[in-house]
Amino acid sequence: MAKRHVIVGGGTAGWNAITTIREIDGGDSEIILVSAENPYSRMVLPYYLSQEIGEAHVFTASETRLGALGVETRFGRRAVRLNPNDNKLILDDDEELAYDDLLIATGSSAVRAPVPGADGANVHSFWTLDQAKEVTASLKPGVRVAMIGAGFISFTILNALIKRGADLTVIEIAPRILPRMVDDAGAEIVQGWLEERGVKILAGAEITSIEDAPGGGKTLKLKAGANIEADLVIMATGIKTNLEWLEGSGVEVNSGVVVNDHLRSSDSNIYAAGDVAEGPDLLGDGKAVHAIEPTAMQHGRVAGANMAGLDTAYEGSLLMNIVDVLDLEIASFGNWNDEDAEVIQIVKKDRPAYRKLLFNGGRLVGAILLGRSRDIWMTNDVGMLKGLVQSGCDLSEWKEHLRGNPFDIKRAYLAVGASGSLIPETLLGRPSVPERDIAVQS
Amino acid sequence: MKVLKIVPERCTGCMRCELACSYEQTGAFQPSKSVIRVSAFEGHTSYSPYTCPQCDEGWCLTACPVEAISINAAGAKDVMDEACVGCKLCTIACPYGTIFYDPARHKAFKCDLCGGAPACVDVCPRAAILYEEAEVSDWVGPFAAERTHGPGGALTAEVK
Repeated sequence: MAKRHVIVGGGTAGWNAITTIREIDGGDSEIILVSAENPYSRMVLPYYLSQEIGEAHVFTASETRLGALGVETRFGRRAVRLNPNDNKLILDDDEELAYDDLLIATGSSAVRAPVPGADGANVHSFWTLDQAKEVTASLKPGVRVAMIGAGFISFTILNALIKRGADLTVIEIAPRILPRMVDDAGAEIVQGWLEERGVKILAGAEITSIEDAPGGGKTLKLKAGANIEADLVIMATGIKTNLEWLEGSGVEVNSGVVVNDHLRSSDSNIYAAGDVAEGPDLLGDGKAVHAIEPTAMQHGRVAGANMAGLDTAYEGSLLMNIVDVLDLEIASFGNWNDEDAEVIQIVKKDRPAYRKLLFNGGRLVGAILLGRSRDIWMTNDVGMLKGLVQSGCDLSEWKEHLRGNPFDIKRAYLAVGASGSLIPETLLGRPSVPERDIAVQS
Repeated sequence: MKVLKIVPERCTGCMRCELACSYEQTGAFQPSKSVIRVSAFEGHTSYSPYTCPQCDEGWCLTACPVEAISINAAGAKDVMDEACVGCKLCTIACPYGTIFYDPARHKAFKCDLCGGAPACVDVCPRAAILYEEAEVSDWVGPFAAERTHGPGGALTAEVK
């Protein structure tokens, strides 16, 4: 009998696992995808909000496409229990699915700040497609938007909110904005840039309640300072991994499902991938939950390869983010907040431009880049910084030069042979195949 | 597969490749829109072009969340404008720094080998860029290493 793979979760990790299994086995196994939502790409929701793309553009794996790949679906269903002793997954309609191996790719959900009124009318999260639709429908020019949380998610939709004509106030409880993406110096530049362009920002501000205001608006009360009046409140106050349904399964869980370099959990025929997985970290011996799109994609592909019977080890994920706000580009890589690292940095406040390079000996272990979009894309060394962190090439003899000019990354990159050390690298030990070119034998 | 083989020793820094590339890719003679870029060494007395190696992994291709990057008939990774939303994941995933981004159009762009007739190769007066069957290699690394040490190199003043 053909092997049966059950994939729980239709996001980036699940979809990449499916296409990888099919790339390898050509249709020679059973695959069942359980997904509460019709699969779509979360990454592109900000462009849906800005109305640059329509709803059809966000979907990844349609029923038709999955059918063509020989994948059975359970859409609109949630997994409620996992029983590794019997190799069975139980769904919310009581269906029991037997599996030979299973992928946990249930991702994460938005969490709201524990504030009275956080679940009231006109208070939204922006994480799922349904939530994106709600926010999209509520926006019109001049609408007063209070965005709670100044992290990556919040900043990915900032441009869209402004483009749609919102009058925007951003409220962050931490002392600085983007607390998990840039340092103090970077945050100061970003905040100044946004304030000059009419965005109101309150950092270090604690909201005590969100109340209905007379006339249909909302009043946000703060621990210190004046109330904020808004028509619409967006909560972008973080995410949590979707692990609850694994309770009692015996699968080892820490911050996420703990997986080894083959993306296997404590049960050898149960894999985990994406936001829900705690896997190898490229820059250390430990494990980490890197809840970012590129990690979900890589986890999914490596898990898929192993589920299809290959023996594929994963070197580890690298934290990286990029976002632009009103033509200011912000990117960070790796251990950008490593307090033990040797730091080279330059701040040009007027331009503005900021870059910080973090070294452990001769190895670049992290970087922050910040600058006007047109400057950043003219220089175009964003990817080279990633390549230097990823390859671990020895930059010892370049450190002093870079201290004088941290913008001269390109010559250092070329001279240490970073490109040459990266060319043999592939995730699955073979050239990648575009997902659109993957088909099953008929 | 035919790839762009770079022979840096022959490059004179004339920038014709950048001009031809930007014209072919964007319709403008504008080196800043070129996806092949010439670097200067030894105080602008030696030069080398550098562009996408069309790597096996295709970091850009696998990173794209909307499958906007495909492989064209020439074997090059190619961005499809109508599908690209401008999220820039490819720019941070590509470890070669050879994915570009146009902030005016909100689109990523890169070397597509001009579909099999690379303009940079056509216009190079010194045959410093060849289009031929070869293993993808780091054509520039050894040259750059040599030209950044010794007299006039970036490292000369700082390193004994």
